[in-house]
Order: sequence, then C-alpha cells, then structure tokens
Amino acid sequence: MLNRKLVAVALVGLFSTGAMAAGENNIGTCGWGSKAFDGQRGIAPQVLGATTNGTSGNQTFGISSGTSGCTQDGVVKSTWKTAMFIDGNKEKLAHDMSTGSGESLESLAKLIGVHDQHKAAFFQVTKDNFGRIFSSDNSTTDQVLASLKQVLASDSELAQYSLSI
Amino acid sequence: MPGRWILLFIFLWSPFAVFASDNAYLEELIQRARQANLSQRAEWLNLLHYKPYPYWPGKRSLADDSEFFNAPHGKTDAAAELEATLAAFFSTSEETDKTQNPQCRFIARYQWLKQELQFDPARLPSQPCKRFYQWHASLDPHEVTLVFPAAYLNNPASMYGHTLLRIDARDQDEKTRLLAYSISYAAGTDETSGLIFAVRGLFGGYPGVFAITPYYLKVREYSDIENRDVWEYQLTLTPKEIDRLLMHVWELGPTHFDYYFFDENCAYHLLSLLEVARPGLQLTDRFRWWAIPSDTVRAVTDQAGLLKRVVYRPASVTIMRQRLKQMSADQGRLARDLGQQRIDANNDRIRELPALDQARVLELGYEYTAYEATTGGGKAANAFSHMRNLLLARSRLEVPPQKPEVAVPSVRPDEGHKTSRIGIGAGSRDGRHFEEIHVRPTYHDLLDHDAGYTRGAQIQFFDMRWRHYRGDDGLRLEEFKPLDIVSLSPRNDFFHPVSWKVNIGWTRKRFPGNEEPLVFRLNGGPGLAYSTPEKFDGGVVYYGFIEAALDVGSRFDRDYALGAGPAIGLLANVTDRWGVHLSARSLRYGLGDDHWSRDLVLEQRYALSRQSALRLGLSRKQEFHDYWNSGNLSLHFYF
Repeated sequence: MLNRKLVAVALVGLFSTGAMAAGENNIGTCGWGSKAFDGQRGIAPQVLGATTNGTSGNQTFGISSGTSGCTQDGVVKSTWKTAMFIDGNKEKLAHDMSTGSGESLESLAKLIGVHDQHKAAFFQVTKDNFGRIFSSDNSTTDQVLASLKQVLASDSELAQYSLSI
Repeated sequence: MPGRWILLFIFLWSPFAVFASDNAYLEELIQRARQANLSQRAEWLNLLHYKPYPYWPGKRSLADDSEFFNAPHGKTDAAAELEATLAAFFSTSEETDKTQNPQCRFIARYQWLKQELQFDPARLPSQPCKRFYQWHASLDPHEVTLVFPAAYLNNPASMYGHTLLRIDARDQDEKTRLLAYSISYAAGTDETSGLIFAVRGLFGGYPGVFAITPYYLKVREYSDIENRDVWEYQLTLTPKEIDRLLMHVWELGPTHFDYYFFDENCAYHLLSLLEVARPGLQLTDRFRWWAIPSDTVRAVTDQAGLLKRVVYRPASVTIMRQRLKQMSADQGRLARDLGQQRIDANNDRIRELPALDQARVLELGYEYTAYEATTGGGKAANAFSHMRNLLLARSRLEVPPQKPEVAVPSVRPDEGHKTSRIGIGAGSRDGRHFEEIHVRPTYHDLLDHDAGYTRGAQIQFFDMRWRHYRGDDGLRLEEFKPLDIVSLSPRNDFFHPVSWKVNIGWTRKRFPGNEEPLVFRLNGGPGLAYSTPEKFDGGVVYYGFIEAALDVGSRFDRDYALGAGPAIGLLANVTDRWGVHLSARSLRYGLGDDHWSRDLVLEQRYALSRQSALRLGLSRKQEFHDYWNSGNLSLHFYF
C-alpha cells in the first residue's frame, strides 16, 4: 500500500508543479480543498505535504497574518465554521451519518448547537435521510449544507437547528 | 512638491518623536532592566529562542528572521534586543489587518516585561491588541495536548513521526476533539518529492514556520490518509501557562526559522513553546544534536507533573484490521470484494446475512473502498457512486454502529526502548577471538524489542562497529553505516504493500589472500513480506527481497563491483523477550570485479529489561572463494 502511494505521489509530482500550487484550493471558495476528494490522484500532494512534515501555502493558516480567505489570523471565521467543517470531513460525515454515530457527526452536532436532549434525534434523522443529504455520488459542500438544512427543517423537533446552518 | 516631502518626512519620523517625548521613562525602564539583568533571564532568552551553539560557547537565537528582532543585532545580543523592544513599546501606531503595534506584535515579551518592570500605564499606555484577543477568544483555550502521530515507515522523511500541539477549547470533550485547533511547526515548501525534501531539509534549506490548523484536517491527514496511529498527550498546563504559550505563538506567527530535519525540527520547536509556557521546564537541552519526535515526547512525559492523560486514536487501517479480526473469513472476503468493487452493495450474498453482519460487511467494505481510493489502488475513478451505495445500504439497516473498540497498545511510543544504543561483545571468527563495540546513535532495528515501535521498521543512522582481534594492536572500524532502512510491510488479501530496504556506508570486505579493507557499499532493493495468516500483526514475518549492491574500493579490479541477487528471511518473536531473525542472501557481483558473496545469518535477541538486551549472532559467509563461520555474543544498552 505504501509504495503505491509513493508512486502516485511521484507521478503527481511530475505533473503538478504549477497546477497544484500552494493554497489554490482555498482561494475564493472557502474550502479546505474538497478537490482532493474530487480527483482521486489529487490526494497525493496532500499526503506528501503531510508525511514530509511540510506545509504548502501556509498563508491560509497563518497565525497573526490578518484576514485571508475564510480565516482571520489563522482561525476560521465563525460564519464559515460549519461549511468548512463539512468540506474537510465529507467522507467521514457520510460514513458517520449512515451508521448514526461517530465523532465527525458529534462534532457537526456541536457546531450547529444541537442540545444534548436532541442529539439522538439528530443522529437518527440524518441516518434516515442519508440518501437526501448526500443526494448525489459527489455532493458539493453547498449541496450537503442545503439538503441538511431542509431535512432538519422538515423535522418538528429539529427544525430550530435548520436556522443555524 | 516640497510640502509633500516634509509631510512624508514627519510621517516617517513620527515614532521617534514619540520616543523623544517619553525618553526619560524609557531611560528609566532600561536602567531598571539592566539592574535586574532581565536580558539574561531564562524567560527572556526563551522568548527570543536563544540556544547554545552546538560547537562553541555562547548563544544565539534560532530565529532567522530580522522581523523577529527590534535591534539590528537582536539575534546575538539579547540585551540590545530587550532595550530596543522596550523602545518599540512606546509606539502609538494603530493596529490594522496587516500590521500591529509592537506591544501586540510582541505580546508575550510585552506581558513579561510589563510584569517584571511594572509599567506605569500613564507613561506607557497599553494597547488594546484587539486582533490577538479576538483570536484568543475564538480558540477559547482550556487545555493543551501534545499530539504524536506515530511513525509511518514507507516515506523516508516521515520515519521519525511528527509532533504538534493541540489547543483544546473549554466546551470540547473527547467526542468533539475534531473541533480543536492544532499548532504545528513545519517546513514551508511546495516540494512534492519526499527525497528532495529530506535532503534539503538536512541542511536547513527550507524556512520553517508555525501554523495553526483545524485539528480535523490533521486527523484526516494522519489517521485517514496516511494511516498513522495518533497518540494524544494531554498536559497539565494552567490557564496562565496556556495564555503565555498562545501569546508566544502569536509572536512567532510570521517568523521563520531555518528548518533542519535532524535537530531544529517540528519536535524541537514545540518543546521550546512549552519552555516558554512553563518557566523552569528544561526540555530542549538534551537535544543539541538531533531531536527525534518520540524522544521529545519522552522528554515531556519524563517531566514530573506535566502529563495529565493519554488518548490513543487508532488509524483507519488499524480499525479495519480490528474489524477483520472480529469477522468470519467469509464475511471478510465479502468486505474485500466490496472494497475492490467486484460486487456491489446489493449483492445477494450480503443481503441474505443477518442485519448485524450486513452492517459489519458494509462498513468495512466502505472503509476499504475509501482506503483503496486514497492510496491510489483499485478502481478509484468511479469509487464515489459505489461508496455512496454502500452507505445508503448501511443507512437502511436499523442496527447500531459496528465500529470495534481497538485496544490501546500496552506500551506507548514514549515507553519503548530508548533510541540510542551501545553494545559490547566478544566473539570468534574461524577461531580468531575478538571484542567488539557497537554504537547506534539512533533509532531501531528489526530485532530491537517492538514495544512502542512499528514492527518490521528498521531505521538506523550512523551505525558504527569497532573490533579488536586478540593479538592485534588497537581497534579497527568494522562498519560505518550513515543510513540503514528496512521496511517490512506484510501483505494479505486486503493490503498489498511493497517492502524495501536501503543502506549506505563502509564495511570490511574479505578479499582473496585474507586482506580485509573497508569498502564503500550502496545496497537495497524491493521485496515482499507476509505474516502468519491468523493474525495480521502476528508473531512471524517472512520475506523475500531482490537486492542490488554496489561496492567501491581500490582493492577491486576496476575499483568496483556491482551485484544483485535474492535475499530471504524470517523474523519471529518466540516469547515476549526472545526474538529471532534468520536470513540468507546470495549476491552475484557480475560487473566490475566478478565474484560471489553469500551469507546465512541467525541473530537472536533476549530482552533483559526494556533498556537492555543480550544478542547472539551466528553466521556463515562467503566472499570470493573464502568461506568462514563466526559467532558473537553482546550486551546492548539503550539510552
């Protein structure tokens, strides 16, 4: 498994110098690079960036660097928190919703302020509506947000939380 | 025209005008700082990242960024820097999105000097530093955790592991840790070649910077993409200490340090943050030459009262392995076929299983598909529709999640054997007795006890052996290997890694006529490894390699010999303390000086304690037309 990854990385390295330059993913779209999940080989630069303890495009995460994209001094602005979280955890969230549990689902519940007494319902409703929330094979973050909002709005107990998405 | 120049002139000089009017108070502060000798205090030197030179006396700052200093020679003159910093604090410039008042830009220095010198707010008004306090509020710091993603062998640059700090907010718990932020120090580069990174990194070829990242992105990188188990060491820092740490991180934000892969790396710099947070902690002193992340974790856990508790976060692959262990072989095969997209989510063989088993198979099938897509294997291109179908099928099953509990390994990475090793031993070669000293500065070999380490991962730097033959004068260098890596990654139905090895160095080679000069050798190659089938991380690993070797030395015809050949071996833990490694190799040097080189080696290790072991080596070797036997018993200490 490992060497295959290295090979993939090496191949990407050959072609990517300009195209996958620093922080490109984040400009304008306020995403963490969901593109990494769009193009399967696109994940390689991230793998490499991480395994070599290198960081590319650190401007996005710059501490005390002022406003940059959706961050202020390196911290995600509050209006973007939920969208950025979904963007960075889409596969995990889909997995968690399908089983009705898991830390990314717990964290999402926390982000939109679901009270403890509504958490079980939140988990159940997102599980039951998995097919609606992830309505296509490759849902964008916007689509997931919009459909999650709809699903919550149509549930009497959870409707209040649709407002915080 | 002249009017504009005058305005510009006044604008440029205005900060100095401010200094002039308050000169008396600045002078007073400087005098008091001198009297108290503040500039030589550990707190101040830590804030400036002053460290001793490794080769000669004296100190200098590790920061390689003039913006980090207010005095022209701030990198080497801590007193001048202190006085220039005091002067800068009188600036009345207002904060903008891109610039800060010096009191905010250097907020940790400001807070410390303010406390030590008791600044008079009437004569040195304090700035609001809105941006810092907003940042602080959005982090809502409550606890600090040292995060250690364990080594992931197959990438040479990641072999030591990595460390980062996590800032845990007040309202988070273990279920919502993804929402925390992490602070890491890394080389800022777009270099996509791990090898080039490693080489340039050795010589400080990259600027290192501190960065802040949502923890969920780090978890995705380490757990899901790289499949490294992560250890989270929660520390006992108090709110005051955490504030100091964050203020200092803020100061360091835009500052760059030359990144050195060996010593001034992520792990080293994170320790220096902790030293700022809790004055009196001495964590970096012992890492003058190199800093291995697992050793820096050890430095932290060695400190009395600094560790609160440890949380283990198994990687995606670790969870998948656990699922497989708890599943029948038939169901494991179904999950495998799902992952390799040979069958789809609605396959009859799955649908006829009880709901609970269906859930198990679908969950593992999904994880395996994601794993294959991530690692570039399988049919990644149309994985999305397959993956969604798996989850859709899973979401229709009304059974609880089947994610297994993974037992926390009984020995943590900081609890394994220490990474430096010295061995003394004696032996005999064809009846000639010898004594031997073996120094291995770092880090782990295949036979060292595995507890806390990755099994099958050998990484050694600057391994050295000297030998003295009875009757000869003095010691002679037997072997010197600057780099020696072996990666044995067992394959099975699910995972198909390629093992590999590489080593470079000088070693004694026996030539006809009993001459034994040092030759330079570059050796390595790919291989396949398997482990006993019932357990994936089981007791016995066996392997085969195709190796190539280049030997260079003046004793060879044409000064070199280039060879290749197979190598096989078996690595087993007989008991917890007793490990065995049996290997055989046959190299035909067909280019240059034509000859054969063969060896059969049995090595055994018996761990006397975690930090000591006995080794017994027996071997039969051939070089050219000579054959000989040798045996060697040695005692190893880890320190």
